[in-house]
Amino acid sequence: MTEQIIKPDLNFINDVISSGGESLKKCFQCATCSVVCNVTPDDKPFPRKEMLHAQWGLKDKLLSNPDIWLCHQCSDCTAYCPRGAKPGEVLGAIRKLSLQHYSSPKFLAKMAGDIKYFLLLFAAPVLIFLTYLGITGKLDFANVPKDPVKGIVFSKLIPTTFFIDPVFIAAAAFAVIVFARGIIRYWNDMSRNAGTKGGNIIGAAISAITEILAHRRFNKCEVTKGRSISHILVFYSFVGLAITTTWALIYLYGPIAMKFLGMEPFKWLLGESPYPLTDPMKILGNASAAALALGILLVIFNRIKNSAKAGIGSYYDWLFIGIVFFVMATGILSEVFRLMDIAGLAYPTYIAHLSFVLFLFAYAPFSKMAHMVYRATAMIFAKQAGRE
Amino acid sequence: MAENKKVLIIGGGMSGLTAAIEAAEAGNNAVIVEKTPFLGGRVAQLNKYFPKLCPPNCGLEINFKRMKNNADVTFYTLAEVEKISGEEGNYDVTIKVKPRYVNDKCVGCNACSEACPVEMPNEFNFGLDKTKAAYIAHNQAFPFTYVIDDRHCKGASCAKCVDACKYDAIKLDMKPETVNLNVGAIVLATGWDLYDTSRLDILGAGKIQNVVTNMQMERIASPNGPTAGKILRPSDGKEVKNIAFVQCAGSRDENHLPYCSFICCMASLKQATYLREQYPDSKAQIFYIDIRTPGRYEQFYWKVKDDPNVTLTKGKVAKITEDPSTKDVTVEAEDIIAGKKIKAKFDMVVLAAGMVPSTKNSKISDDISYTPDGFVVPSSLKKGIYAVGTLKSPVDVAKSVQDATGVAIKSIQSARRSK
Repeated sequence: MTEQIIKPDLNFINDVISSGGESLKKCFQCATCSVVCNVTPDDKPFPRKEMLHAQWGLKDKLLSNPDIWLCHQCSDCTAYCPRGAKPGEVLGAIRKLSLQHYSSPKFLAKMAGDIKYFLLLFAAPVLIFLTYLGITGKLDFANVPKDPVKGIVFSKLIPTTFFIDPVFIAAAAFAVIVFARGIIRYWNDMSRNAGTKGGNIIGAAISAITEILAHRRFNKCEVTKGRSISHILVFYSFVGLAITTTWALIYLYGPIAMKFLGMEPFKWLLGESPYPLTDPMKILGNASAAALALGILLVIFNRIKNSAKAGIGSYYDWLFIGIVFFVMATGILSEVFRLMDIAGLAYPTYIAHLSFVLFLFAYAPFSKMAHMVYRATAMIFAKQAGRE
Repeated sequence: MAENKKVLIIGGGMSGLTAAIEAAEAGNNAVIVEKTPFLGGRVAQLNKYFPKLCPPNCGLEINFKRMKNNADVTFYTLAEVEKISGEEGNYDVTIKVKPRYVNDKCVGCNACSEACPVEMPNEFNFGLDKTKAAYIAHNQAFPFTYVIDDRHCKGASCAKCVDACKYDAIKLDMKPETVNLNVGAIVLATGWDLYDTSRLDILGAGKIQNVVTNMQMERIASPNGPTAGKILRPSDGKEVKNIAFVQCAGSRDENHLPYCSFICCMASLKQATYLREQYPDSKAQIFYIDIRTPGRYEQFYWKVKDDPNVTLTKGKVAKITEDPSTKDVTVEAEDIIAGKKIKAKFDMVVLAAGMVPSTKNSKISDDISYTPDGFVVPSSLKKGIYAVGTLKSPVDVAKSVQDATGVAIKSIQSARRSK
């Protein structure tokens, strides 16, 4: 065995402990966890070695380790741990620190992981929309005209094309850039640590994505079996809502583009929202919203039901769950109040909805939302490196 | 000087026998109350025990001989204490004695057992084989008087044993008796039970035939056990040539027993030698978190470790499965030193199960405090009442005997403070 110089980072140990891994030091390295885990490779299995590395403060070994993302926090390890060391929770804390390590600017990463800064973070999207309303004199919602046929029309409160879309496009672009920088650094660190030459990345990507789409790893969980269903619901409702949004963009900008090209717009390009409930796009959107409602409620229910065996989770987990919940709740309520024609409730709920969605988008690389990007990256890396 | 009263010893295992005999040999009257039909307790079930690795009968036989030579030791079997009242030097005790249905005329000829049509699981052998409802636990049992188990016996409607007995020793109409005693001191020596391994769902949960407990392994290796001392596996009686020991099967686990049971590492090392001595080509693998060999026992560990056919693997077993066709057993662990998951197949697997104080499930009396795990808190005992050995903490035979010898003097002092 070659000599290794160990460089413990004591602050890192405290970071793990304060990020939801407070049970870390209870681990006595019996390796029950590695054996009961159904998703670990047989060679250098996790999470026993991660527990040791975390206890020793070996930050570099952990943050750039693809294994922390191969873990799906089934919590079989936590349930069978003879010491209550909760390896599932500790790996969750390490994943949070890894996300924060690879996302920049650093201050945003720090704020997203600390309950102290929640109000400050949330104030930003709220202020963006309130400022617009203030400038245009619509703060009391009294001057917002209704459409004689459609009733309440949200774009008359805040115009989609001139305000909402630019704000969201900017936020999305910011997120994409932060993600791109993060995963490039992460990939390079993983390659250096693994010391392997790159394998077939395309093949690995196809294999990883089909695995994610089918939730094959999730289905191997035993103690928290129901999680796969709730995650499938949330995951595919997001896919559905992404399609809905694209579809709406086509409705909105399609006629404009066609007119610009001197063509007569197709009849089915409906233009400005709201769209009739019978429209296929609207049906998909509403179905996705219902799936999201069911999924996120199941997530919350499962978390509480399994908390005795799997742990209750950290602030970081609950912030993400909470934001998704409020995105769903305000979204559905906005539509309901609009259809009921109650302007006094519909407009504020819509502003809240826009704020939660912007929160989700803009802070995605710093919040647990980023798990989808990092987990996919780690799974692709592991597959091309032959680590199954 | 006050009257020198009796000492009551609850439990007739190695600790109880020691305390009783030591007190009696110092001149006190000692009464043993034993729940089962025979004395000797857990030690009688062992094949060999530390520190000298002698068979149990070397230690027990000496104690039984000392008892027979000393009229000051009396005992009740099938007896349980129902009530204790009073104070140091003056305790009134009510004892319920269940009927044995066999009297002193029994010569141990086995005719009743041969005649008995009822089979029941053999508790002395931890269910590895069956015995008749009219039986004797083993060939060195003390007292050497048969017993009829009334939980299984069909009673007077059958009575085949009565006809078979030439000595008029069987009385199926025996009734329970109540005995009242006044004693000066009480020694609690009710010992321990093995942890119920059927609660360990990832370790086969008592469902895999060739996964046995360490105490079953003692019976399998014992000359008076179910296989007459040949180490054969339960499913098909095949010679065991490849065995695994799973350490901490329940112990050091907050979901089961949150403490170290003290004896299991030594027991597994010892049991590995049973196999290695019986079959020179056999192999044993011990899976452990830490091998704990207190004090001088370390030397025994070195000896076993030097055997090239014994492998010690650091990593707890957390999955055990059965090959349904061959009944071989696969254990899974992470070899921590190598950093690899291993799946290895064995003829038989021994779960090194832990010790549970008998007071976990049957409390002696309400005014005693217990730890959450059921151990007696010695400081909570009233004056004149003493607990020994495994009631306070998991310990081995040698430490129990030392403890019981010490408690003998304490109980004599209490008996002499009688009022």
